[in-house]
Amino acid sequence: MIDSEFLARLERIVGADGLVRDESELLTYESDGLMSHRSRPAAAVLPETAEQVQGVVRLCHQHTVPFVARGQGTGLSGGALPHPEGVLIVMTRMNRVLAIDIPNQRITVQPGVMNLEVTRQVAPDGYYYAPDPSSQVICSIGGNLAENSGGAHCLKYGFTVHHVLGVEAVLPDGELIHLGGEALDSPGLDLLGVVVGSEGTLAVITKVILRLCRRPQAVRTLLAAFDSTDAAGNAVSDVIAAGIIPAAIEMMDRTTIRAAEAAVQPGFPDAEAVLIVELDGPQSEVETLFEQIERVCARNQAWGVQVAADDAQRGRIWMGRKAAFAAMGRVSPNYYVQDGVIPRSTLPEVLRRVRALEERSGLTIGNVFHAGDGNLHPLVCYDDAVEGQAELAEQVASEILSYCLDVGGSLTGEHGIGSDKACHMPKMFSDDDLATMQLVRVAFDPDGICNPDKLFPTPRLCGEVPGPYRAHPLETAGLATRM
Amino acid sequence: MTTTNAPPSETVADLNARLDERVARPPAPTDTVQGVRPQLVVEPTAPEQVSQILAWATETGRTVIVRGGGTKIGWGPTPSSIDVLLSMSEMRGVQAHRHGDLTATVLAGTTLSATNAVLAEHRQWLALDPPDGESATIGGIVATNDSGPRRHWHGAPRDLIIGMTLVRADGVIAHSGGIVVKNVAGYDVARLLTGSFGSLGVIVSATFKLAPRADASRTVAVDFPETGRCAPYVAGLLAQAAMPTALELAVPPVRMLVRFESVEVAAAQQARQAVTLAEQHGGSASVLTADDESGAWRAHDAHVFGADREGTILKVVTLPAELSSTLEQISEVAQANQLEYAVTGRAGLGVLFVRLHGSGPGRAAFVTALRAQFRPGQGSVVVRRADPELTSLVGVWGPIGDSLPIMREVKRRFDPTGTLNPGRGPGGL
Repeated sequence: MIDSEFLARLERIVGADGLVRDESELLTYESDGLMSHRSRPAAAVLPETAEQVQGVVRLCHQHTVPFVARGQGTGLSGGALPHPEGVLIVMTRMNRVLAIDIPNQRITVQPGVMNLEVTRQVAPDGYYYAPDPSSQVICSIGGNLAENSGGAHCLKYGFTVHHVLGVEAVLPDGELIHLGGEALDSPGLDLLGVVVGSEGTLAVITKVILRLCRRPQAVRTLLAAFDSTDAAGNAVSDVIAAGIIPAAIEMMDRTTIRAAEAAVQPGFPDAEAVLIVELDGPQSEVETLFEQIERVCARNQAWGVQVAADDAQRGRIWMGRKAAFAAMGRVSPNYYVQDGVIPRSTLPEVLRRVRALEERSGLTIGNVFHAGDGNLHPLVCYDDAVEGQAELAEQVASEILSYCLDVGGSLTGEHGIGSDKACHMPKMFSDDDLATMQLVRVAFDPDGICNPDKLFPTPRLCGEVPGPYRAHPLETAGLATRM
Repeated sequence: MTTTNAPPSETVADLNARLDERVARPPAPTDTVQGVRPQLVVEPTAPEQVSQILAWATETGRTVIVRGGGTKIGWGPTPSSIDVLLSMSEMRGVQAHRHGDLTATVLAGTTLSATNAVLAEHRQWLALDPPDGESATIGGIVATNDSGPRRHWHGAPRDLIIGMTLVRADGVIAHSGGIVVKNVAGYDVARLLTGSFGSLGVIVSATFKLAPRADASRTVAVDFPETGRCAPYVAGLLAQAAMPTALELAVPPVRMLVRFESVEVAAAQQARQAVTLAEQHGGSASVLTADDESGAWRAHDAHVFGADREGTILKVVTLPAELSSTLEQISEVAQANQLEYAVTGRAGLGVLFVRLHGSGPGRAAFVTALRAQFRPGQGSVVVRRADPELTSLVGVWGPIGDSLPIMREVKRRFDPTGTLNPGRGPGGL
C-alpha cells in the first residue's frame, strides 16, 4: 500500500526531482506503445544510479508493493503497463555510455541509452550494434533487453540475447548481482539467457555489456515488386533453398506499401508485394550471391527491381520499411498490430487465411513482415469512432495468432507477451510448460512484485477480457479529462 | 536423503515392473562414472519412461546422473555415490528436419555426426563442431553448451537452440520455445537448461536453427615465431572485416588456422588476403584445401583433445584483447610448476583449452595462479577433464561471483530434493 510515508521514503531515495506523484503528471506514463491498455501508477520514480534503483526495489520488497520498470515506453505488448497500486521505475535518466572497448568489441551502457545511439558511438571506429528494431531511434537498450528485441537484420545476426554479454541487475529483493561479463562463458547457470526476454519480470537491469560487430566490407540492397504475395513468398523460399542467408528479407503488401508511400515517399512501386533483400559481408561473396538473388527474383516474375546505388538510396528503402507501422496512421484512424511467427515455408497458406479473414471481417489487414524468419506483422485497421470496431479488430488479430499457432508458430517474435497476449499463452503452452516457467519466476520473485500480471495468464487477468481503452463521452465532449 | 537398501537386482526388477518394460539393468563395468559404480542403469526409449523414472527416483530419494555418449561424463567432481545412471542412448533420431525453414528437432541420444548425416541430405547442418562429434550426443552437447572452432561465426548451442522438451526432476514433461527461429513467447527455459550440466532437468529433445552448408572452404595455416604475433594478426583480420568461420590458435609451436567458408570465389579471395596479412605480421602462411585442410583440422583437434585421453584439460576464458598476456601467463606458470602444456582455442573470442601434464600440486598451483588473474566476468578457469586429486584441491568452477545465491535458488525450485546430478552442476549446484 502506497501511503504518504511510503512516498516520503521514495523521495528520500530519489530526491524530490526524481519522484512523480502528481496525478496529471502520472498520466504521461499510463501506457507504453500499446495505447489500448492504460493504467496509471500510484507513483513513478526516475532513478539516476543503481543504488537508487536498489533503494526503491528494497522499499517495495519490504512493503510488498509491485513495481514495473519502464524504458522509453515504445513496447507494443503492454510490457511496461504500470500497476495501479505500484511504483513505476522510469529508467530514462540512466542514459550514459559507460565504456567503449573497441579492442574487445564491447560497449558498456546504462539501460536508458537509445539503441541507435550505441551504433552512433562506435560508428567512427567501423563498428555497429546489430539488433535494429524499427523503433531504434527512440527505444532504449533496457527495453530491448527485456523484450529480446530483434529487427530486420536478426535473420543473419540474431537477437538481443546474442549480443548481450553481461548485465548488472537488481533482483526483486533489492540485491545487486552480475550475470555474464566482458568475457564469454562465465561459469554457472546461463541466467543471463533467461533474464534477456523475461519482459522485466525477473529483475531491473542497471548496466549492460553489449557485443559490437565489425561493419561488413560490402552491403547491397535490392527492392523487387511482385504481382502477388505468393510470388514474393516463393522468391524467399528459393533464396533460402539456394543456401543463402541474407542480412535481411522483408516483405510488404499493397496496403503497407501505400501507407509508406503516403508517409515518407520511399519511391516503392505500386505492387501487390515488394521484397527488400539485403546482403552483407566480404565484397566478393556479396557480389556473387547478389547475382543469384537477382536471378531468383527474375525467375519469380519480379519487376520494378531497384538496386540501391549508395547509402542514401539504401537509407531511403529502409526508411520506407521502418516507417510502415507509423505510416498506417495515414490510411487508417487506428490499427492493431500483432507479431506472430510462422515456419517460413507456411507463409502462402497463412497469408491466404489472413486474406479470407480480411474479407469476412470487413477490416483492412496490412502485412509487413520479416519474411526470412516468418515473423508476421499484421496491421488490423479499424476506426475507433465506429461502435464495436475496436473489439472486432482485437478479435481479428487474435484469430491471426491462432493461424500462427495452427502451423506450429509463436504468439510473438519480438514484441513480447506483456499484458496484451498473456491470456493467449495457454494456447501455445501447456499448464506444465507454464508451471515450469513459473519455477524460474518464483526463484527470482517469490512475492510476485516484479512487473506482475504480465506474460503469465492469471484468472484476474483472463477471467474477464480486458477491453481496450475507450474515451468516456464526457472526455470526448471536452467536459472532463482523465486524472 | 533416504536411499533404499534393497539389493540392485530387486530394484531393477521393481523398476522394470513399474515401467512395464525392460529398461533397467544392473551396471556393466563401462557404466562407472569416475570410478564410481551406479546402483543401476536405465535406458528409456520414450519421454514418458524418463518421466516415470525421474518421478520414482525423486519419490524414493535416489540420485540420478544422466549420460549421453559418455564423452563428458568425467567432467566435474567425482560423485560420492550414484543410485541411477540414466542413459539417453536409446532415444535417437532426427525427429523432424524442416529444411525449408532451416530447423530440426533431434532426440537427445542422437550423436552429432548422425544428426548432421541426416541434415546433409538438404545441404544443411547443425553448425557445431565440438570434440568427439562422432560419439557426443545432442543432449550432452546442449547440457554442457560445448562447441568447437566454428563457434567463431556460428555460435555455441545456447545461440542455436530454439526449443526443448525436458523432463523435470518430479517427472513433469515440459516444452520450451518452439520450432520457429524467432520467438519470444515465455521464458527461455531451453536456454537456461543449455549448459546446466544436467542439474535442472533431463533434455529429451532439442530444436535448433540450422545453417546451409557452404559451397567452398579454405583454411589458412599460419606459423608464427612467437605467441605475441597472434593477437595483432587477429586484430588485423578484424580491421579488414574478414569473415572467417573459425579463427584458431595452437601452441606450442605457434600455429593459427583461419577458415573461410563461402562461395568459391569469396573463400579463395579471403584466404589469399589472410595469407598476405600473415606474412606482413611475420608469419609463414599457406592455403589448405581438401585432404590437407581436413588433416590440419584433425591435428588441431588432437593437439589438446588427443585420443590418448591423458592429462588435465582446462577451459580458460579471457578477453580477446588479453590473448597475448594470457598466453604468456600460461607459459610462465606452466614452466614455474614444471608442467608440460598445450593450448588450442578461439583466438577471436578469447576461449582457450589448455592440456596439462605434471604433478597434481603443480597443476593445482597452475589453476590457482591463473584464476587469480581474473575478476568474475573478466575471465575464468574451469577444470574440464581432471582427476579427483586436482578437483579436490581447486574445485571445478572457480569463483562464480554474486549470482551464486540466485543460481542455487533456481536449482532448488527445479530440483528441491537434489535428485539430478547433485553437486556436479555449474558452480557446484
